[in-house]
Amino acid sequence: MFLRFLDSDLWRFARLRPGMQFGFVVVIINLLLAVLGPAIAPYPVEAPAGASLLPPSRSHWFGTDVSGIDILSRMIAAPRIDLTIALVSTTIAFVAGVGLGVISGYFAQGEKPGRIVSAGIMRIADIVQAFPMFVFALALVGLSGPSTTNVIIALAFLNIPFFLRITRGTVLQVRSRTFVEAAICAGNSELRAAFAHVMPNALAPALVHFSTTIGFSILLTAGLSFVGAGVPPPTPELGLMIQVGAQNMITGHWWTALFPGLMLAVSVLAFSLFGDHLRVFLDPTNRR
Amino acid sequence: MHNRFLLFATKRLLFTIPQLFAVSVIVFFLIRLLPGDPSYMLAGPYASPDRIVEVRGQLGLDQPLVTQYFNYLARIFAGDFGTSWRTSQPVLADIQLRLPATLELVVLAVLLSIGIGIPLGVAVAVSEGGVLKRIVFLYGMLAGSLPDFWIGLLMILIFFYFLGWAPPPVGQLDFAVSTPDHVTGAYALDALLTGNWETLRSALAQLVLPVATLVLVYMPLVLKTARSTMEEMLESHFILQARASGLSRRMQLRYALRNALPPIITVIGIEFWFLLGGAVLVETIFAWGGLGQYAVESVINSDYAPLQAVVLVTAFFTTLVFLVVDLLYHLLDPRIRV
Repeated sequence: MFLRFLDSDLWRFARLRPGMQFGFVVVIINLLLAVLGPAIAPYPVEAPAGASLLPPSRSHWFGTDVSGIDILSRMIAAPRIDLTIALVSTTIAFVAGVGLGVISGYFAQGEKPGRIVSAGIMRIADIVQAFPMFVFALALVGLSGPSTTNVIIALAFLNIPFFLRITRGTVLQVRSRTFVEAAICAGNSELRAAFAHVMPNALAPALVHFSTTIGFSILLTAGLSFVGAGVPPPTPELGLMIQVGAQNMITGHWWTALFPGLMLAVSVLAFSLFGDHLRVFLDPTNRR
Repeated sequence: MHNRFLLFATKRLLFTIPQLFAVSVIVFFLIRLLPGDPSYMLAGPYASPDRIVEVRGQLGLDQPLVTQYFNYLARIFAGDFGTSWRTSQPVLADIQLRLPATLELVVLAVLLSIGIGIPLGVAVAVSEGGVLKRIVFLYGMLAGSLPDFWIGLLMILIFFYFLGWAPPPVGQLDFAVSTPDHVTGAYALDALLTGNWETLRSALAQLVLPVATLVLVYMPLVLKTARSTMEEMLESHFILQARASGLSRRMQLRYALRNALPPIITVIGIEFWFLLGGAVLVETIFAWGGLGQYAVESVINSDYAPLQAVVLVTAFFTTLVFLVVDLLYHLLDPRIRV
């Protein structure tokens, strides 16, 4: 299987693009840590493992935080929370956004009732996007109570319009192709034609956006936790770690927030790079 | 041509009104997200049953939903956003105090992003390659993936703690400096207008790090768009035509830039939209005391009226920004319709 991967188009494409390799490797590491993280962390992730604010050393590579918890261990455990939130919320947003996008794209130029539904969906999306994203997320989570579930719901809700617009755009193009007409002539209902025939041909852009959105969701989750409106402490989560470290960082204990932030930046970058390159790979006219 | 623009502007403006109403409906329903009956939450855990009935009456929760919404709307139009129990001030007064600080930060960051991002993007698009092109390309890839709050912390660590160049992150002014006379509410601007040089110096010094953070994190979007649309334009047929006709390089660039502007304007609008929310985290780091920090403190203290108001105000500004973007867009490219 490994050899076949080496022979694939994807590998040939990635070989010349260090950005994609970097993205790929970091994404894989993140996924592995999400599965194994808490099990392979060398120290407990929610309890002190040494003195407070120890600088990086042999036994604590990235030092300890103000309560003496080993920072590296928490970083190893963090992807389980961050990635779970990002994956689940992005998946919900993907399913709902693509579904609505197919409906609104397919019926955009059709008969009366369908056209109204299509326009209605777009107006609602406009209104959701009239709110600055972070403030809206803050309000949603703040009012419904900071918890992992509520962060997931808020992020999913806020990401739906993006998938909706991307899918709608592609569906509008695919809709006019003759095979759709043929499907209708063969006796398919409009809805069946939309979801069984048009949708599979309009998924690629939304799939690519999936990767970028995961990165973005990790960033938002960390931001929410950073201001105290995300996952509750002492969960091992990158935003919370940066928040705990922030006060110490200003007084020169730089390792407390530096490493978790670095991991956050690298992970988000990796997901978005991977998505960017995937888009180029899937779009042959774009390949250079 | 003027008539067409007026027609477009009127249509677009009329379109904004239902949008704002829809926004107010959503904000009205936000408070319903509170688990259970909001009057229990607002009356506090030790309230007597009588007190809860009283709070419910005050909130109008015993009335039909539609009546409640119109009451809410009437209050908003009268400028009554409720009272913050944390600052025990009317929310409107709190917001008037804090909004200029946030706008100062956001507007400066956007202006600098435009002022640096567009020329740099164009320069890179024109250049034949080389180190600068490579650096800008790599930097552009960072668009949207840098955690602004972490970058802010690094800035403080490097420029305040290690180098000692920047003042401590204590907000808009140093502790020892008096606030300027009120003109606009934005300290740096007010100090400039009233000729209060000492305050101006402190206000500008305090602005450097937060603005630098925002520019560093959010400029790549403008830079990337300027570069890619400019590259696209330079490869297009009308520039080939211009070159074939023997027009000077300057004229070619002018034509190209003119046609590259619409997508850049759109991205600037998006940047504004993003910063109105995104500045929240940077404000928190630098204890800026703006609208964003107000929102965060309200969330932490379960102070709901201010939170609702901040969401409404930022959405209002977003709608305004997108209105301006669409109008500019039409001026640049009159083919666009409502």
